[in-house]
Amino acid sequence: MTSAAWICLFLPLGSTALITLLGNGIRRRTAAWIATLSCGGAFVAAVVAFCSMLSRSPAERSELSTAWTWLATGNFSAGLTILTDPLSVFMMLIVTGVGSLIVAYSIGYMDGEDEERRYFAYMSLFVFSMLMLVQGGNLLMLLIGWGLVGLSSYLLIGFHHERPSAVAAAKKAFIMNAVGDATMALAFFLLIQKTGTLDFGPVFAKAGGLSDTVQTLVALGLLGGAVAKSAQLPLQTWLPDAMEGPTPVSALIHAATMVTAGVYLIVRTHPLFELAPHVQDLAAGLGTATLLMAGLIALVQTDIKRVIAYSTMSQIGYMFLGAGIGAYANAMFLLMAHAFFKALLFLGAGIVIHALAGEQDIRKMGGLRHLMPKTWWAMLIGGLALAGIPPLSGFFAKDSILASSLARGDWYGYLLFAVGVAGAFLTGLYTFRMLFVVFGGEQSAYVQEHPPHAHGDRVAQWSMGLTVGVLAVLSAVGGWIQYADRWTPVTNWLEPVAKSLVEASGKQETLASVLAVGLGALGIGVAWWIYSAHRAKAPRSWAILEHKFYFDELYDAVFYWPAVGLTRALYAVVEGPVIGGSITGVVGAARWAGQRTRSLQTGFVRMYVFAVAAGLAVLVLVFVAVK
Amino acid sequence: MLGPDVAAYLIVAAVLFATGSLGVLIRRSPLIVLLSLEIMLNGANLALIAFSRQVGGEDGQIFALAVMAVAASEVVVGLGLIVAMARKRLALDVDEFSTLRG
Repeated sequence: MTSAAWICLFLPLGSTALITLLGNGIRRRTAAWIATLSCGGAFVAAVVAFCSMLSRSPAERSELSTAWTWLATGNFSAGLTILTDPLSVFMMLIVTGVGSLIVAYSIGYMDGEDEERRYFAYMSLFVFSMLMLVQGGNLLMLLIGWGLVGLSSYLLIGFHHERPSAVAAAKKAFIMNAVGDATMALAFFLLIQKTGTLDFGPVFAKAGGLSDTVQTLVALGLLGGAVAKSAQLPLQTWLPDAMEGPTPVSALIHAATMVTAGVYLIVRTHPLFELAPHVQDLAAGLGTATLLMAGLIALVQTDIKRVIAYSTMSQIGYMFLGAGIGAYANAMFLLMAHAFFKALLFLGAGIVIHALAGEQDIRKMGGLRHLMPKTWWAMLIGGLALAGIPPLSGFFAKDSILASSLARGDWYGYLLFAVGVAGAFLTGLYTFRMLFVVFGGEQSAYVQEHPPHAHGDRVAQWSMGLTVGVLAVLSAVGGWIQYADRWTPVTNWLEPVAKSLVEASGKQETLASVLAVGLGALGIGVAWWIYSAHRAKAPRSWAILEHKFYFDELYDAVFYWPAVGLTRALYAVVEGPVIGGSITGVVGAARWAGQRTRSLQTGFVRMYVFAVAAGLAVLVLVFVAVK
Repeated sequence: MLGPDVAAYLIVAAVLFATGSLGVLIRRSPLIVLLSLEIMLNGANLALIAFSRQVGGEDGQIFALAVMAVAASEVVVGLGLIVAMARKRLALDVDEFSTLRG
């Protein structure tokens, strides 16, 4: 079991190293195959680990494996350890499964792109980083994976490094994530100081004895990291800009790697969060606020990828809601279902963008239904799954999170439930606004000018078509592995690691499902009414939504402009007069001294000899006198 | 111990050294400067050997041998330079070579 886990972890890294070392010695397609096969191999290894874990009894499914002690200072030591338990295997399956599909899709999507080899090396690195994150056997390993995920996302978002906007987006993502990394590192320092270890078991055991303040601070620090990585309020602004990367990168970031890491972190360290219930409530509140806000912003976006990006933010909000109220299994279940349909939506959007010569503005699209029927059906499945329409995967996952918030039973739970259900309406509305505008109606002028055509050779077309097909099937049937509260394999599977705090009753499940599906369908209906049937004009969009609730402007005003002002002031007051002035002064003094003493250098050898001899004589006199 | 006291040797050594340094300081011909240098070195050698004899160890003598080896190589380089200067028909006057003046 652990050897399979090690293989799963290091196959993608091997692919990165291989592609990097071979450099131009291999053809681009070869690099693509190396990356695809390594990720596929990692998936096979994850399946092997899963199967051998299945054969064990639930109590024995968790196993630590240490390669060597990696860091030992004083009485603190951390090993290069991986943890194989139900939660990490669950994540490994998602990361490698969906990840390898996305990499396989890239064979076609990136075909003919310059620097294709670099792209595939980065993709493998990304998958490796995420595996490191979910398999890390102590918090330090987790932090390493965490940082590597940030690095890989930076490299891939800025893949088109000749575009200034891509470079800016990459930097933005990196900096926003660094804020979270910093709070997380602070929480870890606190844990090391107070408990002396970062291993999961001992930390969770000892954390109970800490003071309330420390527990709250640790949980807050971890929450900061989770919020940044998962693009939740208030560190969400990097996610839409991250659409600058190639479309499969967006799919990878949104579905398999990166943004789900925050949810994983909360579930993995849930004993620390449970010690600080207020922070848990805060996580649920932030998630709920994000899901509402992202749903509203998605209504006015005109870039096809940004609509999907905001839907991710919204769905991660649901996961945070679930993880915050203690419905860990439901959150992880939505994470899985979301991985399927979000990868499907992004890859489908990638096909549309590819076919329309790189156009991403949905206002220029229209009437693609008859031109690209297969893509239309795939996107329709993805959209229905996202909107939570039964029997697709989103229905099973999202509704049980809402039911869990009902099961909480206090006013806060009801509030979260109400907002979550409202979010379901928005989800239906914005998803089908996008689908109807892109695929429905008459063919737009742009589409007539640029009739969709297939790119690349047969392999490229197959790689894109087949992966989207597989994901469409997964999005349709992937949710059938759990139907709370009658059939709960996912909950049972994760129970040894993260036992859910709330159990929704059958009645609450039904109520949540009826409301969520009803409102989701209503949202779809409204979208149809406005954008397909054109019975009503779309209301004028509000400026606050266009400006994404002014978060970018706020951060500019609070952080960017003060920093610029401070820098300019420091330049004027310190840099110029003090630092620059002092250096000019030193130089001037040295030059003055040189001018004064240069005449001593006569160039006559005898003078120098005389100076030496005279110096010697003086020394001798001094010695004699002192003695 | 045979021979005069160590002071006598040291006086001779000091005279040799002073003669040599005077030559280096006041003569302009590079050949003479080189010769004077040799005299200085030999003054130092004499002092080394005198002390060595007084102390009774061999260190000073070994050191003197090393100085002789250095002196020999130095003469080779120095004479080579002087020959090169003569072949270029440069004036054999050390004061002419003052390019390094500040």
